[in-house]
Parts: sequence; structure tokens; C-alpha cells
Amino acid sequence: MKKIGSLKEFACTPDRFQGGHRLCPGCAHSMIVREVVNATDDDLVISTATGCLEVCSAIYPYTSWDVSWIHVGFENAAATISGAEAMYKALSRKNKLYNEDRRVKFVAFGGDGGTYDIGFQSLSGAAERGHDFLYVCLDNENYANTGGQRSSATPLGAHTSTTPRGRVSYGKKQKKKDLTMIMAAHGCPYVATAIPSTKHWKDLATKAAKAISTVGPTFINALSPCTTEWKFKPEETTEIADLAVETCAFPLYEIEDGHKLKITYRPKVKLPIEDYLSRQGRFSHLFKPENKWIIEEWQKQVDEYWDYLQRREEAGV
Amino acid sequence: MATPKEMLTDWDKVQFGAVLPAFEDPEHKKRSKFHSYNYSVADWRVEKPVFNRELCIDCDFCWVSCPDSCFIVEEVVTKRGKKQAKIVGINYNLCKGCGVCVEVCPTPIKSLLMFPEYVDNEEALKQWPKKDK
Amino acid sequence: MALKYELKQKEVWDGNMAAAHALRQAQVDVVAAYPITPSTPIVQNYAQFLADGYVDGEFVMVESEHSAMSACVGAAAAGGRVATATSSQGYALMVEVLYQASGMRLPIVMTVVNRALASPLNIHGDHSDLYLGRDAGWIHLIANNPQEAYDMTLCAFKIGEDERVRLPVTTNQDGFLVSHTAQVVKPLDDDTAYKFIGEYKPKYPMLDTKNPVTYGAQTEEEWHFEHKANQHKALMDSPAVIKEVFDEFEKVSGRKYNLVETYKLDDADVALVLMGSAYETAMLAVDKAREEGIKVGLLMPRVFRPFPYNEVAQKLKNVKAIAALDRSMPMGTTGALYNEVAGALAANGQSAIMTNYIYGLGGRDTTVEHILEVIRETEKNAKAGKRVTDLQGFINLRGPKLSFN
Repeated sequence: MKKIGSLKEFACTPDRFQGGHRLCPGCAHSMIVREVVNATDDDLVISTATGCLEVCSAIYPYTSWDVSWIHVGFENAAATISGAEAMYKALSRKNKLYNEDRRVKFVAFGGDGGTYDIGFQSLSGAAERGHDFLYVCLDNENYANTGGQRSSATPLGAHTSTTPRGRVSYGKKQKKKDLTMIMAAHGCPYVATAIPSTKHWKDLATKAAKAISTVGPTFINALSPCTTEWKFKPEETTEIADLAVETCAFPLYEIEDGHKLKITYRPKVKLPIEDYLSRQGRFSHLFKPENKWIIEEWQKQVDEYWDYLQRREEAGV
Repeated sequence: MATPKEMLTDWDKVQFGAVLPAFEDPEHKKRSKFHSYNYSVADWRVEKPVFNRELCIDCDFCWVSCPDSCFIVEEVVTKRGKKQAKIVGINYNLCKGCGVCVEVCPTPIKSLLMFPEYVDNEEALKQWPKKDK
Repeated sequence: MALKYELKQKEVWDGNMAAAHALRQAQVDVVAAYPITPSTPIVQNYAQFLADGYVDGEFVMVESEHSAMSACVGAAAAGGRVATATSSQGYALMVEVLYQASGMRLPIVMTVVNRALASPLNIHGDHSDLYLGRDAGWIHLIANNPQEAYDMTLCAFKIGEDERVRLPVTTNQDGFLVSHTAQVVKPLDDDTAYKFIGEYKPKYPMLDTKNPVTYGAQTEEEWHFEHKANQHKALMDSPAVIKEVFDEFEKVSGRKYNLVETYKLDDADVALVLMGSAYETAMLAVDKAREEGIKVGLLMPRVFRPFPYNEVAQKLKNVKAIAALDRSMPMGTTGALYNEVAGALAANGQSAIMTNYIYGLGGRDTTVEHILEVIRETEKNAKAGKRVTDLQGFINLRGPKLSFN
């Protein structure tokens, strides 16, 4: 496992995901991806689900990847990487590896569309089969690549292009699916949440290093604030991510062996949820008097979940 | 997004299976012409970050949060023999001007500031806010 | 090291067992598959070979056919020999990824046991799945019996992996009629079979991480056409390699295969064009018809894609009337085989009278007597010098006569 020391040290890592891609200015995806691929010194084979990252990092005749990379479809990043990993095992058994001196690790990236929704079966299958890979969900809580439609990761009350706010609508009526816990329930040896942030860079890098070096299927759910669809200024990306953590809208934790839960960051003062919601255009309508109940419902859900996490941690289950 | 003219090839000269090799010379990490590192997104910018080396404390927050891998880093070794990254500049071919680096820069007077694209960097440095004396 | 399987000179295998043994002998590195009737036994047999130590490679039992083909693409791009098996609905679920496999030029081999497509649901043999995949950029080889299912599967690896081709290949056998019908099969011994196929030659393997590559880039309007044209050229050029491989196969097995197979066609006035197990039924019908004095012969494209249109036209240049028999409902037009043959003739300035018959859907029996009837009808056209029968007829369909003109 790569030791994640100081940022000064970490920044000496030669980038393996390069610029020149076409992700939006201020996109959190690439912040997360850079940290993940820089969190190991092993060689990497990466698969990526259709989505912003895929569309923007491999527009022929250009690629932004210094590692082997494949995109096949929207719903099959996990199945694809499981095939590549199986080939590695087979060639290893047959003494036919291309580079005997190099260790290869396998990583899949998918947005919340490719992970929570259309790619969920593929992910669940690959996790159950126990392939040795890390799956990172770049969770920007909507189908950003196709113009901001709702996903099962979209939180309550959010305006999206398919759950628009309107005269009789307050946005999405359902709450966010708890995918991290669902992946833990698969018995994955390591599951974690993370954000792109200068304050929590080490949390993400350490979790990625841990996940990559853990044998078996591992999962990181990384919140990826989306400047375009969440409607905030591009330079505010990491700040919004920090607010998600400080309000406990997106708590940072990890789960080992499917059950050992550890909260990896506790806000000193838990900020009210309004501090997070009010900074994003997708929630602006919630601040109308008739939608006050949604913010109250949000706060209630956040409080209950935070309480649940703490109690699970205490109980060691 | 138009492909630069010199990159356009005919049907019989396209990459087999649309497969793109990252490196032209893998051993020396020389990236191929297919690498977006050799593509420019500079025309996305209306404002650019300007870097003031004199104020920088090499916290590397800009490096870790840059979505476009723009920060050029030099590896230095401390007296204690530790590797450290020193920020030496910005790759303006790759920078889209999002401004995240300026936002996360923690120095009392920021060592990164946004300036209009047309302002010359030397001129920008002259306009830099001064410490209150 | 995988154990060698001691085979007798003559084995009694059904088509599924024959295909499974061919996969085993090819020493496939990764098989990723999902069971579906009637190809399930291929997967089960392979699993048993693995359990008994006859297989060194990885066997990934995925959670769907979509994931099966996706894992195959991931594995093939990683750099090794890859195969799978499927049928029908599973094939349909894979279709998206079939196009990806061929566009990335990955020589995956898929043993298909042909079966009808729902709705209404049916588990028996017809060519609906084969036709569904016909534009997917794969080479499609046809096998009419277990021996051919075995032989075509061995050839499929050698054809697809040839550096001049580098395309995925399916081998097709009729559900149940071939897949579950045990016949005598003369296999090659393990060493001979593997030597015939040869070692896998990698091209742009992702696992050569010292030379990282990107697979699956997006090509928009500036590039897509050029890439598809390039891929189409590889497929159109592949018959030269297919012929070479068939010739080499003859040397090791004594069995000769051709792009286009014929039966008693040389002096024929009437020809039937069909593929699959019904071809063998039709051979018996031809023998009987000839006893009746009808000069009839058969033609089958052994290779459905790339379609050998010039060879087909050449072989049919002296016949007067042709019936093309399609084992799939064309839904709104004439059958695919009819269209292909008609196009081949037109392209070569030939004008034999052509009719189309739909038969055998969902495993419906097609007997010698049925085919004899088709031969007799087709002879009427030959004799009249113009079409006097229906353009499209339906063989062994219950109820009032259905036909289109």
C-alpha cells in the first residue's frame, strides 16, 4: 500500500490522469480521479462507464490517460473490469504476463447513473464474484452528461431536468439511495465515502490507497459537486464538498469487511443543512415558504442518519 | 470540437480499433500525439490564474484540487532528505480558468489570483496586492 | 498445466458438447458466460472440464449476458484468448456489446446455439438471434451438425485472431436439432487442435501496462464514418483468410469446408438456398426429387457474414429458379437470405426467378416432405420461365394458406 504522507510528498506523484480533457471548468470528477490514480504506485487498468468522465477524457484522437483504459458502455464498467482482471489472473497462472516485474491493479469509475442505476446489476455481480478491483462512484447526484436528469442518487427536493421545480412540483420526491451501505452489504472488504477537498484530500487519498491495496472488491462513493447542474460557481467546487461534510449531508466514513464502520471525520460543529442547500441553485426553490417542510425533512433525515452512523460505530457493527 | 487539421487522417489510416496509445516513447514517458496533454483547452478561458512564486508556501492545495492537472511541479529534496513538491508554474494549455486554485490558496495574500486573459503575467504581478505595512 | 483429455477417434457428442470441447482445446484464457437454453450445456460442460482440471483459464460466471459480453470485451482488450456461449434472449441482451467488440477489433469467439426470440417466448431453434446480430460486425459461421459445430469453433479462433482479420466470430448451430442431438464426431486430439489454432497473438493488450492504451474512445462526426469503413474493409477482406484457414483445417482433419457449400448443384435447374440443420434434411429431399426427375441442388453460405455474394452468384449462375428459405420471421419484408441472394444475383446481372419461404420458426418441424413440396413449386417457376408461385410462402404453418406477392 502506498504510504500517504504529507501533501508535499503526495504532490511529487507524476499525474497519470492528464489535463486537456473536456470536463467542465471546476469539475470535481477529475479532482477525485487524479487523487485515486495517484494513490498507488502499481500499474493500473481502468474501465469507465459512459458519462462525463468517459465522454470528456477520450474524444478521438485524444486520450487523457497515462494508464490502460477502456470504455465499453453505460451499464457495464464493473463487468468490463472484471473481465480484464480475470485475464490478469489467467495469464498469471499460465506464466504469460506481459510484464512480470509490474503489479497491475484494476479500477472502475462510473457516475451515479452508471453506478446507482443502469450499472448497478453489473457492479453487484462483480462485487459478489469477488474480483480484485476498486470501483469508484463519481456521485454528482444526476445524469450530468446528458443534461442533468434525475438519478436514484439525486436527493430529496433537488431540481433536475426530469424532476423540474414548477408550479405544482418541488423537484425530486424521493430521497437518495444509500448505495454505500448496499455495497457494504455485499460483504466487500472495504467500502468508504469521500469528497474532493483540500481539507480532506488525505482522507480520499488514504481511502483510495487502502481500497486499491485491499484484495477483493472495494468501493468508494465520492461525492462530486457538479458546478453545471448543481448551479454554483466553478471555483466553489471544493467548498461545496466541504459543506456537504460539515452539515453531515454526506458523512465521511469507511466500512471494513462489510460491517466494521468507522467515521473518518466528525465536524466540530455540525452546520445546519441550509448552509449546504442554500449554496446550490438546484435547491433554491426549497427556500420558498411553502417548501420549508422539505428543508425540515432534509434536516431530520440528515440527523437520523448521522445518529445511525455514530451508533453503528459505537456498537462496532 | 474540431480535430486539428494535422491530426485528421483518412479511413485507411485511422487507429486500428480506435485504440490510442498514451505514449510515443513509453520508457521515457514521452506522450504520444494522441495524448490530450498535447491538446490545448486554453481557448475555454476568459480569466486565467496567475501564480506568484514569491508568496507561495508550497502547500500544494492548488495541485491537489486542480481539475486539469495544470500545476507544474518540481521535486525538491529537503535537508532531511524528504521529497517535496515545489510549484513552479501553470500549464496554460491545460488551464480552463475555473478558479478553484485561487479559491483554495491559503496564503494571507493569495499567491494565485485571477486576471483577465489579455493581461500580461508580468503586468499582473505588478498589480498584485501589497501587504499592509 | 491443464490435463490432456483422452479422446477417442470417434466420440458421440451433441453440438453443445462438441462446442465445449473445442473451447477447451483452444485453451481459452477467459470464458465469461451466462447460461441460457439451449446453449446452457456448453457452459456446464466447460465448468465440468474446469472442475476436473482440464482448463487453466479463468471461467467467470457473470450475472447476465450483457455482463458476459462486457467481461469478454474487457478480457480480450486486456490481451488474451476469450470465448463465450449464448442463445436467443441472451444474444439479444448482448447486442449492444457485440458492436463494441467488433469496433474494438477484439477476436472473441462466441458459440451461438440459435433459438427463437420472444414474444411469444419459445426455447427452440430458429435463426432470429443470428439475424439480429448480422450487422454487428462479427464473422458468422454456420454449422449444420455437431461435427461442424466442433470444426467451426476451432476455425473461428484461427480466423478471428489472424492479424489480417482481428474480428470477433460466432459459430451457429440450431437449438436442440444440433445442440442436443448426439451424433458421431471425430475430434482432433488436444495437441493437434491447439497447434492448429496456434498461440494467441496480442495486439494492443491493456495488460502490457508499460505501453498503456485507451480503448473505446468517442468518435464523432469527423471520425466515425472513417472508423466504420476501416472495420467494414477488414470484414470484407476476411474471406481470403477464412479460405486459408479452411484449407489448413482440411490438412489436419481431412474435412473440407468452403465459403459456400453446395449439394448436387452443378447440373441443377432449381436451387434451394438455406442454412443450418435443415440443409441436411434438404439433402434427402434433393435425392428424392432427383428420383422424380427434378434437377435440383442446394446452396448454403457457410459464412453468413461476410456474405460471399459473388461466390453465391457464381454457383447459381446456371439455375433457372431459386427458393431461399429463411428460418426467421422477416417482419415486414422478404427474408434476409432471400434479400442477400437476390442482391448477389442482381449485382452479377443474373436473373433466376426467386421466391422466399419462411420455415421452422420456434423449432417447428420441417420434414423431407415439406422441402420436397418447395422443390416441386420452385420447379414450376423454372419450367414457366417466370414466377408462377407466391413470392413468400410459409412451410408447415397451420391454418388457411398464407402468402405474399
